[in-house]
Amino acid sequence: MIQILGPNDLQEQVLNKDLCVRCGACVGLCPYFNTYKGDVVMTFSCDHTQGRCFTHCPRTDVDYDLLSKQMFGKLYDKNPLGVHRKIFASKAGDKMGDHHYQNGGTITALMVYAMEQGLIDAAVLTDSQNLIPVPKLVTETDGIKNCSSTKYMAAPTISKLNEGMKKGYEKIGVVGTPCQMTAIAKMKSNPLNFKNFKNPTRLLIGLFCTWAVDTKDFINLVSRETDISKIEGMDILPPPAQLFILKTKDQNIEIPLDAIRNIVPKGCSMCPDMTSEWADISVGAFEGESTWNTLIIRTPKGENLVNDAVNDGYLVTKNLSEKNLAHLIKGAENKKKRGFENQKKDQPIRD
Amino acid sequence: MGNEAIARGAVEAGMSVAAGYPGTPSSEIIENLAKIAEDKNLYVEWSVNEKVALEVAAAGSFSGLRSLAVMKQPGLNVASDFLLHLSASGTRGGMVLVGADDPGALSSINEGETRYYARLMEIPLLEPGNLQQAKDMTKWAFELSEELRNIVLVRTVTRLSHASGNIVLGEIKEQQNKAFFKYDGFILDSMEGCVMSVPVAFKHEQQQKKLKKASALFEQSPFNVYTGPENPELLIITSSICTLYTSEAVELLSAQDRVGILKLGTTWPLPPKLVKRHLEKTDTILIVEEVLPFLEENVKILAAELGPEVNIKRFYGKNSGHIPMTNELNPDIVVTALSKILNIEYCPVDQAYKNRVSKISFSGVPDRETTFCPGCPHRASFFSINKVLAMDNRKGFVCGDIGCYSMGILSGGFFTLKTLHAMGSGTGLASGFGKMKKFGMAQPVVCVCGDSTFFHSAMPPLVNAIHNNSNIIMIVLDNSGTAMTGFQSHPGLPYDISGQHALKIDIPKIARAMGARVETCDPFDLESTQKTLFRLMEDSSCVKVLVLKQVCALSPEKKGRKLFKMAVDESKCLGEECGCNKMCTRIFKCPGLIWDRKKKKAVINEVICSGCGVCASVCPSNAITKKEA
Repeated sequence: MIQILGPNDLQEQVLNKDLCVRCGACVGLCPYFNTYKGDVVMTFSCDHTQGRCFTHCPRTDVDYDLLSKQMFGKLYDKNPLGVHRKIFASKAGDKMGDHHYQNGGTITALMVYAMEQGLIDAAVLTDSQNLIPVPKLVTETDGIKNCSSTKYMAAPTISKLNEGMKKGYEKIGVVGTPCQMTAIAKMKSNPLNFKNFKNPTRLLIGLFCTWAVDTKDFINLVSRETDISKIEGMDILPPPAQLFILKTKDQNIEIPLDAIRNIVPKGCSMCPDMTSEWADISVGAFEGESTWNTLIIRTPKGENLVNDAVNDGYLVTKNLSEKNLAHLIKGAENKKKRGFENQKKDQPIRD
Repeated sequence: MGNEAIARGAVEAGMSVAAGYPGTPSSEIIENLAKIAEDKNLYVEWSVNEKVALEVAAAGSFSGLRSLAVMKQPGLNVASDFLLHLSASGTRGGMVLVGADDPGALSSINEGETRYYARLMEIPLLEPGNLQQAKDMTKWAFELSEELRNIVLVRTVTRLSHASGNIVLGEIKEQQNKAFFKYDGFILDSMEGCVMSVPVAFKHEQQQKKLKKASALFEQSPFNVYTGPENPELLIITSSICTLYTSEAVELLSAQDRVGILKLGTTWPLPPKLVKRHLEKTDTILIVEEVLPFLEENVKILAAELGPEVNIKRFYGKNSGHIPMTNELNPDIVVTALSKILNIEYCPVDQAYKNRVSKISFSGVPDRETTFCPGCPHRASFFSINKVLAMDNRKGFVCGDIGCYSMGILSGGFFTLKTLHAMGSGTGLASGFGKMKKFGMAQPVVCVCGDSTFFHSAMPPLVNAIHNNSNIIMIVLDNSGTAMTGFQSHPGLPYDISGQHALKIDIPKIARAMGARVETCDPFDLESTQKTLFRLMEDSSCVKVLVLKQVCALSPEKKGRKLFKMAVDESKCLGEECGCNKMCTRIFKCPGLIWDRKKKKAVINEVICSGCGVCASVCPSNAITKKEA
């Protein structure tokens, strides 16, 4: 049995142990958990012994079989890429017009298309302001386009899903990292058996993620290199470069990837999921071609959306090479192995 | 009221100038004098702090008028620098300093002692033991001061200042003298020349002669009274309000035949002959006084000097452990000490009654926390400060100061304050903390102070912080008055103690002129207060001052008037559910909010809700609504 506990246990088991991955799942549900500059903190005390904050957190117990049955109708099998139907390379289609994307623009295209088709009425995304990631709840396609590009920083995006739920939205699309998709999957299982619970999400697009960095630490690190307001973009050079790039108007500033890895939240090391297994569709970079994405379709709903988007000119897909696929599996396998090992190390063994 | 008696004593003495700074239990003395200031041609003021009050009153004395300075004990610490020099320079017109102590800290955060100042500053000390003496001794203190040409200290305590009873009034003496400051006499003549403490050895010697003279006068004082048998088994020496506890205790034990009581009104310097006469009566002495063994020490010194003449004594009191050295006394404590010394069986509280009380109080008496009034701006301010510091997540902290907002150290203020000392000390401590970055401290440093405290003693540490570029945020909790002590005026208000127009000194303008970055917010607007505070916390380039301005809920202009009519929409109130868990009644805890246990919903207490509207912003589900009242 997994533990079903409350806010003080969350504070003790996750926040105090510095295992919080800043996903925002506990933020916006109540007045007690708040977020500022990427950090998640408990501002006033709550004496509940059970709460959504604890049960939705991706760093508390996860019943993988339960989540897998709920989403895919079968037990969790530790497939490195998770349950999936198809894998493609993809990018935004002609209908999306000219827009600069970090990679292929697949996520923006799919979210815009889903909203235009009425599949979703609100989108939970991550924008940024002076480099600091800012979670957003948007209800128009222009808002979706503004949020494109990779943030690299852990952002409490799920707080906006909680807000959207409170506001009464029932068809929300969410773009998030693996931990955030895990939190949503946990939320959907309604662990506290609330009578009036309704799943507010209609579309889950997961991001590939090997790690994210702590926002405050990242700002401190970057401030030492340059004036934050001058940064126009960020990127990681393809291996074996081991370099993180800050793009300004005049130059590209290189930061060794090791310095970046140092400021990854401790909780990320326990994550066994590279490709956002609890999503309808997962999207990541495409090895070797920076204008394309890798696209994993997991659910029938996800498959229908991709098919329709391709037919209507919003998305272009092509097949993935064997080599690309092998690399993807290898990366995901490594993270899964490492994540589960670290989970065992850091958590007390329970019956 | 004892404080009215003291004020009356001053008026009967023909006093002209009175100055003080509010502080429980002293405030009503100046307040009552202010009421009759016009009628009796007095000059009465609330000074910016106690040191200035003593200086203003001294100016009256130097001008030949009788004058009075009034302060609570911690204020005397503030005034003590001037007092050291004043007592050396001497006074002209009769000058009295009333120091009010608060044994047991009923309305203080200390139980500081006024009496030791008499010894330290080498000035006479009078301690009234009842309401009549409060008036009579105050009046006499002016005469004594003129006879000695030095300031006289009158010490009162909460239980005397705030007790009420009947007294016999005396005649009111006409005010003497036109105010005139003589300075062109012989330079060493303190009545006609300069008033100063130099040449030090000469003036000091003169001062000590005055003290000797006081001691001689005290030998005949009618305020030192002995009651009891000629040769008692036990002599109790006591003073102040303890004289009443002692008389009651002796009566309760029916020990009048065995115990004699020497009630001393003139406790420094002690009159040695009088003390000797009474020490000769018996060899067993109990000294009853509150807090520190001031009287005990002084009597013991005399007893040692008189040893060969009065025989060796057995002393009971603080050092023997019979009388506690902290907290206020009461008749029960004195009875307990007496019954031990005299071997009389006595149970101050009947055991059966005691058992019944503890049983009832255990289950029946609701737990009442010390908290802010309904609609108090401080609750809203601390809510925001606490939340912002927590969210900032750098272990920032707040240095506290003296005022109602000192309660920010308790749950009613969300445990926001982490230090609490003297007036102005919050800013001084912050100024120091703000320089600890050099040694690795990365915690944000915040201090709070009230509007009256800002003028009283927070301005110098603010200057210090600005000049030394200490990275701090000073939050001025401006509720437009010296609220804790009863809403006295201060320099930030456009009126004085008598309600007359006065020049208002603007706190934001002062702070800006000093060089701080200044912002002003309404603390009832939680969102804008929190946003502003977050913004200020980003700025490490200078000292930041945030003025949170909102009038005290109990102020005369606000009391009884509601800004909003508040209501709870029960259909929206989440109550104990996950998502709220009684945020308004469990955390925010304004007394205007009630938890309905049956319905499991929050309710507005219409009777005491002040209609500030803040709880509507605290409710996570918008269940609390506000309508313009």
